[in-house]
Amino acid sequence: MSAKVIDGNAVARHVRSVWKTRVDVLKARGVTPGLAVIIVGDSPASRIYVRNKVKACGEVGLHSETHEFPANAAEPMIITRIEELNRNPKIHGILVQLPLPPQLETRRLLGAISIEKDVDGFHLYNVGGLVVGENNIFPPCTPYGVQCLLEYEKIPIEGQNVVVVGASNIVGKPMALMLMAKDATVSICHIKTRDLAQYTILADILIVAAGCPGLITAPMVKRGAVVIDVGINRLPNGTLAGDVDFAGVKDKASYITPVPGGVGPMTVTMLICNTVAAAERAVGRNAEKTPASA
Amino acid sequence: MAATLLDGAAIARQVYSGLRQRIGSLRAGGVRPGLAALLIGDNPASRIYVRNKVHACSEVGVYSEVHPLAADCTEEEVLATVRRLNADSAIHGILVQLPLPAQLRPERVLQAIAPAKDVDGFNWLNLGAMIAGHPLLAPCTPLGVMAMLDHAGVAIEGRSAVVVGRSAIVGKPLAMMLIARGATVSVCHSKTVDLRQYTLMADILVIAVGRPGLVDGSMIKPGAVVIDVGINRMSSGKLAGDVDFASGSLIASKITPVPGGVGPMTVAMLIANTVTAAERSVGGG
Repeated sequence: MSAKVIDGNAVARHVRSVWKTRVDVLKARGVTPGLAVIIVGDSPASRIYVRNKVKACGEVGLHSETHEFPANAAEPMIITRIEELNRNPKIHGILVQLPLPPQLETRRLLGAISIEKDVDGFHLYNVGGLVVGENNIFPPCTPYGVQCLLEYEKIPIEGQNVVVVGASNIVGKPMALMLMAKDATVSICHIKTRDLAQYTILADILIVAAGCPGLITAPMVKRGAVVIDVGINRLPNGTLAGDVDFAGVKDKASYITPVPGGVGPMTVTMLICNTVAAAERAVGRNAEKTPASA
Repeated sequence: MAATLLDGAAIARQVYSGLRQRIGSLRAGGVRPGLAALLIGDNPASRIYVRNKVHACSEVGVYSEVHPLAADCTEEEVLATVRRLNADSAIHGILVQLPLPAQLRPERVLQAIAPAKDVDGFNWLNLGAMIAGHPLLAPCTPLGVMAMLDHAGVAIEGRSAVVVGRSAIVGKPLAMMLIARGATVSVCHSKTVDLRQYTLMADILVIAVGRPGLVDGSMIKPGAVVIDVGINRMSSGKLAGDVDFASGSLIASKITPVPGGVGPMTVAMLIANTVTAAERSVGGG
């Protein structure tokens, strides 16, 4: 038996179409959700990411604007802009494209974003809200996208053994907290884990976000497991690969995400969802309870 | 009994003696750390907890004051008190004793406390800083557990830790602290299908559920370090933890008693957080 390959592009299209109707409702009330993207310097990768985000905004009918700063920009100048955007009623979401040049303190810039407009979910206040499990926060986009994929495929989470490989602040830790809130038993493995296979073999749902190509091979995966590969690695031959040995694991898992085309398209989509949710909250509508894939 | 007892009261005494020195330096600079406790309603357990905290303050030279509020007070009254204390320069730490009467929303009240005075570590900003790996003020019970492990010289990095219980006050923050120290962490709870499968993997097993006898010796890996956060009043009137101590202490290498284990450490960490907050207020720490 071969796993069902989860088509992240198709799920992302579906989610965007659902959220487009919410955008239409907002527009009928005279509100166009708006996203402001701050980009500092001219990293080609950052430019591509920002372009993708702006393009996704356009597709769903969001207003977006890009605020460019030179690589040597001083911090107060950027913070002043963030504060202006915090006050700007046309802007509901603000994101600072990472990584930043070394003279800038990432934590300070992210901390300057209003928590009501923190659509990347990186503000410490929103991160902390994940511990409490309140639903008026912005979940960080990548783990939110993974959760959305699981929900779209109707994969049960409650009572399942989930293993998250990778303990980053952006993916692993928030992912673990979000799935605990959904009643999964969650183990978090990372570079200090001594016997990774001892854990991965337990997993009904295995989420890998380590940035290490080929880390997960078929013998480490429980038969019938759901395998979500968040890794995206550029191999020496120029191709992209995840952290999972896709060819080997595909025959053992029940579901698997490809790289590229799995989690990746969901991350940008969830940014759009968070921005629309921010706009809805701004007009006083309480839409938090609706799952993104509904 | 095979296991060494982790004596929370004794470890707490050592914590206090370290704190006395820090308090002495602050007072030499004209600053006395101050803690304000809001006691809302007349829950007898809450009264005892607040009394213990006030007592601990006076033992080490921390100023404390209790703000009693009626059980039927409004949220606005509570928020007004919190705001006044946020602005009071003699107060470095504010705690709201939980649980709250039903008309008050805990998150609303807790989030009103200034992050710099949030000595219980429940403000989302403080929880977020802890997750991001640069904690300012962190929740007291998990801090107390970590301090006990360190005091007992328990290796954490690379070890398998299992936390049973996923509360926002203990289980989840503790899991984040253990990860930050390099443990592989599993978090189990009431929806876990096979608890034993996990507990038997644990080099470090922490139980914070509130169910006496949930874990017995047969569920413990030989030589494990067992930390029992549970505190349950038995029908006999005695206190018991979540671990069956008689069988657990035969299998574990180290184990906490209840009472006298984690409990005293929680209060000690509250005082430590208050001192830290006072040091920060004068630009130290």
